[in-house]
Amino acid sequence: MKSGLTAWLLLLPAIIAMYLMVWRPQVVGIIWSFFKMRGYEVQEFCGLDNYIRVLTSRNWGLALRNTFLYVFWSFALGFLPPLLIAFFINEMVHFKAGFRTLIYLPALMPGICSMLLWKYMYKADSTGLLNTILMKLGMEPYGWLNHPDTVILMLVLEMTWVGFPGTMFLYYTTLQGIQMELYESALIDGAGPVKRFLHISVPQMFGLLALNIVQQIIGVFQVMNEPLVLTGGGPNGASMSVSYLMYRYAFLEGRVGESLATGTLVFVILLAATCFYFYLNRKVEENYE
Amino acid sequence: MSRFQEKQTTLLSRVELATVKGRILYWCLFALLAAMAFITLFPCIWMILCAFKTPREIAAGSSFFPENFSLKGAAEQIAFAWEVLEMGRSILNTLFLCLTNCAITVLCSGFAGYVLSKRKRKGMGEVFVLVVWTMMMPGSVRMVSTFISYLSFPLLIDNGLDIPTNVNVLNTYVPMWVGAAAGSFTLILFKNAFDAIPNTLVDAARIDGCSTVRIFFQLMLPLAKPTVFYVMMGALSGPWADYFNPYLLLSDPSKYTVPTWLFVIQGKTEVTTNVYMMGLIFACIPPALLYLFFQGRMTGGIMMGAVKG
Repeated sequence: MKSGLTAWLLLLPAIIAMYLMVWRPQVVGIIWSFFKMRGYEVQEFCGLDNYIRVLTSRNWGLALRNTFLYVFWSFALGFLPPLLIAFFINEMVHFKAGFRTLIYLPALMPGICSMLLWKYMYKADSTGLLNTILMKLGMEPYGWLNHPDTVILMLVLEMTWVGFPGTMFLYYTTLQGIQMELYESALIDGAGPVKRFLHISVPQMFGLLALNIVQQIIGVFQVMNEPLVLTGGGPNGASMSVSYLMYRYAFLEGRVGESLATGTLVFVILLAATCFYFYLNRKVEENYE
Repeated sequence: MSRFQEKQTTLLSRVELATVKGRILYWCLFALLAAMAFITLFPCIWMILCAFKTPREIAAGSSFFPENFSLKGAAEQIAFAWEVLEMGRSILNTLFLCLTNCAITVLCSGFAGYVLSKRKRKGMGEVFVLVVWTMMMPGSVRMVSTFISYLSFPLLIDNGLDIPTNVNVLNTYVPMWVGAAAGSFTLILFKNAFDAIPNTLVDAARIDGCSTVRIFFQLMLPLAKPTVFYVMMGALSGPWADYFNPYLLLSDPSKYTVPTWLFVIQGKTEVTTNVYMMGLIFACIPPALLYLFFQGRMTGGIMMGAVKG
């Protein structure tokens, strides 16, 4: 009886912290989104007013579209490189550890430093790295973050640079975990590289890849720091994501109720993705047993 | 080429590598990797080179390498940047936050993981499911409601005394500390690591009269070293990367951490590009040192995270 009490006492700090930081804000955030807010104070119930104001404003459609663009580009740019590089490094007999370390190095930089570094690289005048290269090639300096059509692509480029070493390392450790006997016996049976890839590497990697893709969707859907640090959502809202919109409503424009409503809408979308992730996770684990 | 003969069979094997086509393919991949390594390192190299240029060289944008580079000049530039950036205060703040976060994480998540692994009581299965869901909850959507809750944070339970139970914790490190205690992923990592330790060890220690706290510190933590180091590295390097929470929650710049400080001094006129790049280098050094220190000690920890993806 006494030892049961001790056990609960030791568990309590973590549980209380999770209650304060995760569960309570999550629940009250949804409840408050139906209330009128004055500053950061909760006023009277106002039904769907906040939602109507969010959904009818130009910002919501724009931010949602942009967020999907972030997800799309992060796949177009970020899906294949880490996978291919993990495969390539795994094939090396020369300089294998060297490549692994060199390519992993950028991941050691704190995320904010990479963002600020890229901000300086993208500078629109002649001092940015990319513009120095352009001018060396005899071209005019280019406003890398000033074009509404490509600004998201530029931000995703930075996100990919930051994120891909970690993903690459994850894939690489999985590849290392595939038993060599499988490849060896396939070789003896006369299977060429393509067949070994299709019948050994792919089935062994598939579960991890599927989980990673869903995780990436959930992660990129919440992108806020890149637009906040690099562009401030601009030009003219072209890089504004839903999370950044939430930040803007709450902390720059003083429209807290609308921010809470936006948060709740995003939460519903992501909850669906999370449930799908759990479903997939179970499937993957069943396959590995 | 004897090294090709010894190559472990993966997609390319000694059979393919004995042919000319296979060799060409192999060296093409090698060249591609070299190019990729160069591209990934290029921004970092540029950052370092820029830090040692003069403002005039950067404005002209003509040379890639700093002109008239000398060791003495470089040392002077480092000293000059250090003076302009005034980072000392923020470095101390970050160190303080790192160490406190690390202690809080290991104690709170560690003890909770230990209880959920080795001291299971009725109802704790449900608690664990809750923790897993906590980990999966998308974090960004709570930003605003969490911020509002900091304005009157229920730090104490109602004690019947005259002490206020709800306090405004903005402009303090309390939110960061509570956040460190709420790490659901680290809790699960700890639980998994402790699950791998045989129950009989714990039972034997308890029969010998070992207290729970002693079992935790002298048995569980040393046996789960890779995970402990992995979690410690995460907690220690976290404040070097998180600019957002201090920026949002602290109003007093003398409490800012290094990333937040770097974020807010961008606009200052005396902070020229070369000085700023030096600041970024300063900010990268502590996490890099942490990684070097922990690198070899936490392989098991990374693998454990990797299994589940």
